Parts: sequence; structure tokens; C-alpha cells
Amino acid sequence: MRSLLCCLILSMLVGCGAPPPPSNILIYGRGDDADRLDPIQTDIGESVKVMCNIYDTLVTFDDETLDLVPSLAESWTTSDDGLEWTFKLREGVTFHDGTPLDADAVVFSLERLTKPDHPYVFDPVIPYAQSFEAIESVTAVDPLTVKIRLKRPTAAFLTTMSMFPSSIVSPTAVKKYEVEFWKHPVGTGPFKFDSWNVNQQLTLLSFDDHWRGRPEIDGVIFLPVGESAVRVKQLLRGEIDIADNLPPAEIDSLDEKPGVVVQEKEGMNVAYLTMNNDKAPLDDQRIREAIWYAIDRDQLIESAYSGHATKAKTLVPPTLWGSHAEMEDREYNPEKAKQLLAEAAADGVPTPVKVQLFVMTDPRPYMQQPRQTAIFIKDSLAKVGIETEIVTNENSQHFRRMTRGEHQLGLAGWSADMPDPDNFLYTLLDPDNINDVGGNNMSRYRSQKVHDLLAAAKTEMDHDKRVELYHQAQEQIFADAPLLPLVHTSVRNVQNQAVTGYLLHPSSLTRLRLTKLKR
Amino acid sequence: MARFLFVRIMQSVATVAVAVVLIFISIRLLPGNPALARFGQHAVPERVTDAMSSQGWDRPIWVQLLDLPGELLQGDLGVSFFHGDSVAERLLETIPATLELSLAAIVFAIPMGIGAGVASALWRGSWPDYVAMTLALVGVSVPVFFLGICLMTIFTNMPTSGRVAPTMISQFHTDFFLFEAIFTGRFHLAVDALRHLLLPATALATIPAAVISRITRSSMLEVFSSDYLRTAKAKGASLWRIVWRHALPNASVPIVNIAGFQVGMLLSGAVLTETVFNWPGLGRYLVTAVREQDYAVVQGAALVIAVMFVTANLILDLTYLWLDPRIRTET
Repeated sequence: MRSLLCCLILSMLVGCGAPPPPSNILIYGRGDDADRLDPIQTDIGESVKVMCNIYDTLVTFDDETLDLVPSLAESWTTSDDGLEWTFKLREGVTFHDGTPLDADAVVFSLERLTKPDHPYVFDPVIPYAQSFEAIESVTAVDPLTVKIRLKRPTAAFLTTMSMFPSSIVSPTAVKKYEVEFWKHPVGTGPFKFDSWNVNQQLTLLSFDDHWRGRPEIDGVIFLPVGESAVRVKQLLRGEIDIADNLPPAEIDSLDEKPGVVVQEKEGMNVAYLTMNNDKAPLDDQRIREAIWYAIDRDQLIESAYSGHATKAKTLVPPTLWGSHAEMEDREYNPEKAKQLLAEAAADGVPTPVKVQLFVMTDPRPYMQQPRQTAIFIKDSLAKVGIETEIVTNENSQHFRRMTRGEHQLGLAGWSADMPDPDNFLYTLLDPDNINDVGGNNMSRYRSQKVHDLLAAAKTEMDHDKRVELYHQAQEQIFADAPLLPLVHTSVRNVQNQAVTGYLLHPSSLTRLRLTKLKR
Repeated sequence: MARFLFVRIMQSVATVAVAVVLIFISIRLLPGNPALARFGQHAVPERVTDAMSSQGWDRPIWVQLLDLPGELLQGDLGVSFFHGDSVAERLLETIPATLELSLAAIVFAIPMGIGAGVASALWRGSWPDYVAMTLALVGVSVPVFFLGICLMTIFTNMPTSGRVAPTMISQFHTDFFLFEAIFTGRFHLAVDALRHLLLPATALATIPAAVISRITRSSMLEVFSSDYLRTAKAKGASLWRIVWRHALPNASVPIVNIAGFQVGMLLSGAVLTETVFNWPGLGRYLVTAVREQDYAVVQGAALVIAVMFVTANLILDLTYLWLDPRIRTET
């Protein structure tokens, strides 16, 4: 026994080095583990990263752009009134468990999403149910044809069908695993689920019979590594192939290291300064405009985003259709800001203007350095005579207090759920979304005109007319200045040079089908 | 003796009960609630309210507290609201990881601490003493998180996270990876598991080793100045015999005391170490659950940690009895 122990210790001490990772399995290091792998039961990003490789949807995004392309549905048609959508399914597709894909499987999957009393819904929490509430019924016309009837014409319907909650699941597997289906996901995607040791690793293997062909890699192991500093070390040592969600400063330093590749793409998000329109002095439009003029967003991008962001003048990111690129902007002009403040003071607004700025503790994808951003804003406002008190709260508390309208100014932002201007403008600025629990119109902006335009755009089926409606809404929002759009952050990813073919997608979906490894 | 044991066990039960009640109240006093954490950015106000009322979380805390003894007596640790799986099952998966890590840390910490303490007492005022005590000072002062990152930076060929290489995990059938590998004779797996264990166990062992070495040093110095040791020296006993036969056993009560206490403390150190080294144990499970405000998990994990801590202390007291007959007589 003693000699055995000696052998063990010796072999350790001689440092035989880490065993090389298997040549064709991708090791993906990320900040956290998934929560559940049933597409209707979660909205956690780490789960979506896994699920979008296990499941397919009826329609999906192009590999590189946000254009919608056929996936499990080969083609589709819409009735003239926009209420009925007919999808023709691809032939010969099978689930990972061998179940053939047919119209019944699609009906089963979509009814789980839209009918909370469905016998195979095991948890009442369906985070995205609201996005699909326009669906009235889903029926199988024949084995390869599905008809979806809507309660009202819904312009963003097809885009909604590309979202992960509408992933098609194997009915056989759901019936087999029942309440534990989320631990045993079965779809038609390019990778099939292999094993999951919670908080240790989650393994997917390539699906040989995927309808678009077997992926080049043999599989992927998702490793949850909480500390970003550790993920950096692992990447440099070759223990992981991709390190996601790293702080900007880490990415900047890694960019110069040999053997490391940094990808960058414009993201579909916005960071903004919310101004509570219900509270003095921000109920005065001149004060809101003065704040807009007082902040140099170009300088902010350099100091808080190390240059990796684009200036925002509307909430809709320029990568997304409907963004009003030609709209004028209020360029940095502190003199103009002082003049507006003087005008307001002359009308009785107490001076010096004093405001509280609510700031979150932890970074968000659109707000990578909240503290630095807040200090930048405080300094900028001080230069025009506005005194700012920074109030820092832990993230969930920060957003809770702001949805209740407790703030005057606050740092906020949004990453798109789906690529449609509705997801930015209606969600963040429509009066329908002012409430104390989870209402996202934290600026408490109430404009009947904007509400009417956004409501019309929701049901308008003509794309060009929708663009026009969104342009008009953005012009009105700009004129009212209910909030200050700050920046659209770039999405960046850091990977080992052995990884090729992995394309960052503007939707932020982690799709690994085309990834290759050359060790 | 039986009375002593009975009283100590009752005290332990009371300690666990107080700890569980305190955790129960404090997690509920945190801002926010589990329904908001679970529903996230898509929280619909009615859903949050419904969930809170269906789980009974909208009742006053003291009313909720009344349900607790009944649930615990049934052995029901509940279901994670965030993940939907059984808390008891997940605890059974995570405890082995923590036990292996803590055990490895004890195996490092006790000999290292005692060895350094003895050496420093023997060569008091010379360089081994200075080196050992400087290291001990650094050991108690450096945060585990920072130490972990330092170790990763220094030992560049050692794995930085997890219990085994990602591709090997499927070869294990229990959650006691290292023990399983050794007992089934699969030494390549054992070597891999040991390599993964080395850095986190060292990080975790540092504070206890430092504390134990300082106590050992002062305790040994006290014994060295006693008459019976002078007699032993005068009779020509070897240094080895003086230290191991005469001095150490007599200096052992405070050492065992502090060592036992440190073993209990290892569990709290494990929370941080597990986070840095991505060790899938009880500590990491608890930290995640606190972030998610997952009441059932926090309570379950806290209960297990309290029981482990109290049990370690109970064993310590019994060890005292065995070591020092005087205490036995007093009881």
C-alpha cells in the first residue's frame, strides 16, 4: 500500500501535465450552469445556450444575419387577414430518440406553450407565455402540415416562432420523463443531450442524423466556471476552447495574447439613462433635454466601454430593421444644457438642480462597468450645474426600485428577446408597461400618440408600413426625450485559435453547429 | 459520562435548531422574493403574487416558521423552487464533493500545522521559527480567493477547476470520485482526481494549518519549560523521544481543541474555495441558492452544514475526554 501511495504521489509531483483535451470535443467555459432544459420553462440565458443546440424551431435565423429562414418548416403561407398561418414541415426529420417529426409533435409542443392546463405542462411558470398569447389554436392538417390560428393579426408572429420557447420537443420523451423532462431534453437539433452533472458539466454529443448534416465536432462540454479570472487562466492553458462573458478589460488584455482569437459583433441591445417623468425636476422636459446635452456619449464609450460600443440616439439598435438611423441627435453641448437649465430656473425650477442616480452593483451585458458609467454621468452633470447623488443597489433591488418609480435617474438597458422594434419600443416606453412589479417602462413615459403608433405597428402586416410607424414613434420619443439612450454594446467572444467556424450571431444565440476544431 | 453525553447531544440539537431558525428568518428578510428570482425579467405581477400565495410565502414569517418542524420531522427538505429538483437528492450529490475536499484539507493541514509548530518551538528564535511563523501569518491573513488565484498562477500545470477532467466524469458511478477510483483500482482516474484536489485542498488547508502551527508552537514552548522535560533531558533522552513521547502528548489538548474547531471552520472556508475552484460541493450549492433566493435549498444546505459543524464539535469534546483523564473525572 505504501509503495502504491508513493507511486501516486510521485506521478503527481513529476507533473505529467494536464491530459490533453479530446481532440474533437469542444470545451465551452461559461459563468454559470443551466437551470432547466425544457424550452417552455425557462428564460435563463445559460439554459438557452444549451437548448438552441438541442432543439430546432419551425423558422430560424440565417447563420450570420437576423433574416428569417426555414428550419423544421420548409415553407409557410399566411391568410389575407393575417389570422391563419400554415406551415409545411420538412420530411424525414427525426428526434434524437428516433421519434419522427410530424404535425402532431408540433401541435404538442406549441400547445404546451400556450395552454397552461395542458396535461404535459408540469410547472405553471412559462416565462414567455405572454409572447405567444396571440395564438388561438394549433391544428394538424395532415402529417406534414400545421395550421396556427391567431386571435388577431400579429406582425411579429413569424419572428416569435424563431424564439427558443417555441422549440419542437419530442412528445415521446415528454411522456416518458414527464416532470423530469427538463433533465432529459430530446429535440431534433444538431446536438443530442448526453449527461448533466449539475454545477460540474453538461455534455452534448453530435447528432448523426441531423437534417442539416452531422456537426463537424463530436460534441461539446459546457463547464460552469464562476470566476472570470479562472476562465481566463483556463483559456490560456488550453483547458477550455471558448470563454464567454468576460469583462471588457480581460478581453482587451487577451486580445494581444498569441493563440487567442477575439470575435466582435454589434449586439442587439441598448443601455440608457432612465429619467422618471413622474418626478420633479425630471417632469420638466427642459431638464431632461439638458441632461441629454450634458453627457458626451463618445467619451463615455471610450472611458466605460473601452471603445467597444456604438453611440445610441434611439432605443432600437442600428443592427435591427426599423431603427431610425437618419434621425437627428442632440449632440454634446454643455452650453446648451446650461441655457436650458437657466430657462427652467427662470420658470421656478429650484436651483441648483439636485438628482439621485440609481446604479446597479453588478455588470450587465449592456452596462459592463456600471460604477464607472455612473461616475462619468455625475461628473458630466456637475459641469453644467446639476448635483448628482449616486445610490447603489444590488441588481435585483435596483430594478425592483426603479419599476416602482423610486428613482429620479437610473442606469438601465435591454437585450432583445427577439429581433423586432416592438421588443424595444413597446416594452420600454409604452404606458401599458408601467406597473410596480416588472413593468419595464421605468421612465413612466405616457404618450398617447406613441401608444397609438406602437399599437398600430403591432398589427400592421405590411413591413414597409411598420417601418414607417416605428420611425414616427421614434421621432416622437426623441422630441419628448423621456430617457437618454446611451450606447449599443458590442458582443465579444474569446476563443482558442483551434476553434474555427463559430460565428457570433447578432441575436446572441450560441449556435455551435458549424464549429470546427483543429488541434 | 452518560449524562455528559446526553447533555452535549441535547446542546447540539438546540444549536442546530437555533441555526436553522435564524437562517429561515434571515433568508426571508432579504429584499426580493423567490418568485421574482425565478420568473426573472418576464415576471407578470399576478404570477408573482399567485406563486407567493400558493407556496404560502405571503404569510407572516412566524406563521411559516410553525410549518418548519413538521416538515423537518418528516425528513422532507422540499423541492428547489428555482430548479424544480429534490433538495435532499442534490444535497446527497454535493456532500461527497465537500467531504473529499475537507478531508484532503485536514490531511494537509494537521501534519503541516503541527510539524511547523513543533519545528518553530524547537528552533525558537532561529530561521526555521521565523520562516514558519511568517508563513503562518501570511496563511491567516490572505483571503482564500486570492490564495486560490495565486496557486493557479504558480502551478501552471495543475488543473484549475472541477473534480476530474471533463471527459473522465462519465466513468464514475458514485459521487465519491477519489475513493471510488482508488477502491476500484483505476489509478489513472485516481491520479486525475488527486491532481484536481491538490490546489483547492491546499488553499483550504492554509488557514487551519497556520492557526494550528501557532497554537502548537506556544503550547510546545510552555511544555518545554516544565520540570519533567528538564528531567527527561537530564536523563539523556533523544530529541525525538522528548518531542513525540513527552512534549507533544502533553501539549496536545489545546492543539486538538483548535484543530477540531478548524475542522468545523473548514466548511465555511469550503464555501469560498469551492467557488474559486469550481468545486461542485455543498458550499457552491448554497451560494448559488442564496443568489436565487431558493428558500428550500438554503434551509436544507444550512441544516446539513449546521449538523456537520455541531457533530465535529461533539467528536472534539469526546476526543478531549479520551485525551485528558482530568476532564473525564470532572464530568
